[in-house]
Amino acid sequence: MKLFELGERTAQVHDVLVTLAELAERDDARAVLLESADDPALLKPYLNRLDLVVLRFPIFRDGRGFTQARELREYLRFSGEIRAEGHILPDQAAFLRRCGVDSVVLPKDGNGDPALWEKQLRQFPVAYQRSVLPERSVGPGLRVEEAP
Amino acid sequence: MKRPVRLEPGQKLVLTANRLLDGRTVWWCADGAWDLHIGRAALLDADEAEAVLARVAGEAQRDGVVGVYDTAVQAAVPPEPVTVREKIRAHGPTVHPEFAVETEQ
Amino acid sequence: MSIPVGHYQYDRIDRDFLQARIAEFEGQVQRRLDGTLSEDEFKPLRLMNGLYLQLHAYMLRVAIPYGILDSRQLRKLGEIARRYDRDYGHFTTRQNIQFNWIRLEDTPAILRELAEVDMHAIQTSGNCIRNVTADEYAGAAADELVDPRVHAEILRQWSTLHPEFTFLPRKFKIAISGSPNDRVAARFHDIGILARPGEDGAPVFRIFVGGGLGRTPVIGEELFDSVREEHLLATLEAILRVYNAHGRRDNIYKARIKILVQAIGVEAYREAVEAELAQMDLERYRLTPEAVAAIRSRFAVPLLEAPADADAVLAQQRREDPLFDRWVRSNTHVHRDPGHIIATISLKPAGGIPGDATSAQIARLADLADAYSFGEIRITHLQNVVLGHVRKDRLRDLWLGLSEVGLAEANIGLIGDIVACPGLDYCALANARSIPIAQKLGARFADTALQAEIGALRINISGCINACGHHHAGHIGLLGVDKRGEEFFQLTVGGRAENGAAIGTILGAALPEDETVDAIARLVDCYLGRRESGETFLDTLTRLGHEPFREAAYETV
Ligand code: SF4
Repeated sequence: MKLFELGERTAQVHDVLVTLAELAERDDARAVLLESADDPALLKPYLNRLDLVVLRFPIFRDGRGFTQARELREYLRFSGEIRAEGHILPDQAAFLRRCGVDSVVLPKDGNGDPALWEKQLRQFPVAYQRSVLPERSVGPGLRVEEAP
Repeated sequence: MKRPVRLEPGQKLVLTANRLLDGRTVWWCADGAWDLHIGRAALLDADEAEAVLARVAGEAQRDGVVGVYDTAVQAAVPPEPVTVREKIRAHGPTVHPEFAVETEQ
Repeated sequence: MSIPVGHYQYDRIDRDFLQARIAEFEGQVQRRLDGTLSEDEFKPLRLMNGLYLQLHAYMLRVAIPYGILDSRQLRKLGEIARRYDRDYGHFTTRQNIQFNWIRLEDTPAILRELAEVDMHAIQTSGNCIRNVTADEYAGAAADELVDPRVHAEILRQWSTLHPEFTFLPRKFKIAISGSPNDRVAARFHDIGILARPGEDGAPVFRIFVGGGLGRTPVIGEELFDSVREEHLLATLEAILRVYNAHGRRDNIYKARIKILVQAIGVEAYREAVEAELAQMDLERYRLTPEAVAAIRSRFAVPLLEAPADADAVLAQQRREDPLFDRWVRSNTHVHRDPGHIIATISLKPAGGIPGDATSAQIARLADLADAYSFGEIRITHLQNVVLGHVRKDRLRDLWLGLSEVGLAEANIGLIGDIVACPGLDYCALANARSIPIAQKLGARFADTALQAEIGALRINISGCINACGHHHAGHIGLLGVDKRGEEFFQLTVGGRAENGAAIGTILGAALPEDETVDAIARLVDCYLGRRESGETFLDTLTRLGHEPFREAAYETV
């Protein structure tokens, strides 16, 4: 498993990764795997002890993970690591990052080339809507860039 | 899974796809090439088509084509597709006779 | 460079963004060619940039945000048609333009040319928020309360590469209007927005959700009556968030927001949206008056000056020239300024292809827009072109100019003004050809005097259940169906997109292609024979019910 960091946070490796259903019985679990149909709000009782939430993308076209990540950051104020795994494409790097995802499990095929992920993260100088990241305005209107 | 092909008497199957680079409709020839003209397409019997299709589809990336599938034709010279859709793919849009495939160089 | 009338003027930041998008797409094409991206992966990515693979070639759909172009942009579209296509383009029911004979390898170069005039193909397809549509008479119509284009531009910007909403369950269409007379079919969109002036000067928005055509036509329901401007984006984010999380992804035909709204009911949907809003940091999503003002300042407003006798000159010319008078009657609309008028240019010549324009016609339209309407051009969702601000005393000169290139057809809103999707002549999803039927109907009712006699009657044709030709919303609707590889058409009557939106009723079994035109002619005869004075087709249909029309359509002589 090769990890790629979308931002500053260092990705951590966890030996125990449990599903949402298993979480209640595993007091030692620090990392949970959410399927795309899972409701992140169900993590509420466990957030304090979780270091990592892994969002699994069954296919890159299933965009529920983006909303899950934003809910974790915006509504649940989760401050641990969020990771995406499964079928994801480097073309989604900035979207993932802007929704609050910190790291990805790189795909095993050609889409796992870290250079592609690196490049996509730097593709766009501005965005036209606010994200969960700290941002500042660029010029008049809606445009923002990441605040350093 | 693929539905079993049922051909009427006098019908055969041809393989078709679109070219990756320009999207043009192409037909698979016996020598392995892809041609713009259905007149050069290889005519296949129903029982051999499945294996040929699987093999040719596996080479789509190398051959620079997209979406390989088979379709029924009347086994005339040149073969004529059975459905309106494939007739239009073979000959060009009916509303622009000047773009008919036959008249292109 | 002066600021264009009617649409947002890009600055350097916007242009850099566009270049970055082109570079990204070029990289994606490269990875497709070298095999790193499979076709299954590349397809959604190319669609998000407007590139389809159709029956004969790639098709590129270029965005015309809120339907507005300036003459420079229109000229560029004509050049692209000439250089990269086969000398024509097709204007769609979503106010965009499509080129039908595009090569994948040319696409980055085409996108670069488009970017020279601040145009692109971003989000003209794909399961994302699509190009936002707006009232074709925006900023010109006398009945307008709020010019919706500034907010349409805000929505365009906000939805562009939205990090959360680019991989939705299905496509997502937003329309916005600022007139009490709905000209955008607001209730046939995933989200329809009607703007009106608020008390503090900023507009408020009435929001409909869950409308749409396609396999399951649904009329949108009101979600909120009065959303304040500052909460517009927050509200849209909340609506989309509920949809993205809960919209169905297991069945492509059940994935639109309308199915979710139907399944849980509009009250439950509203509650879900309100629950999102309650958790959101509204300050973060606030649309500030400063941001609105900044975007508004990048729109030029036309300086409307007309001689005092402009109206009298037009009246005199109409009296002298009955042909011109007929065109004025069908093809113009009241402007908010008494010295000006709105002119609709029909792209529906009798027997022609609805919505198609040659590069020569496109170039001429750009010249006429410069000469008569501040260089501003609007594309309508009925596949026509509007010049929004024509001086009344110069209208006849415009009409003469249009006549020279075959664009003076006097049939707007009449039976010849047929809406048709590309259908099976081009479209990979089609069941039947839409264009030939449209051509035959156009030829059958070519006589403009007969069209005027028939009056308001809209025919809409779709080549498959995706309903790009909006057949459910046609007074007479035709839907192409495939029966064992042959083309058939299902007839509906009584649909309408205007105020009092309604979905057409299916008349009966689908007819073979070669019987369809005659059946419609009998429908029209039935109406002409039984109407009472002053009645439109819809009036007579409402009074008599469907039965006489069904009988007429299926009568076999
Ligand atoms: S309605 Fe169907 S045939 Fe017509 S353009 Fe849309 S998808 Fe194609």
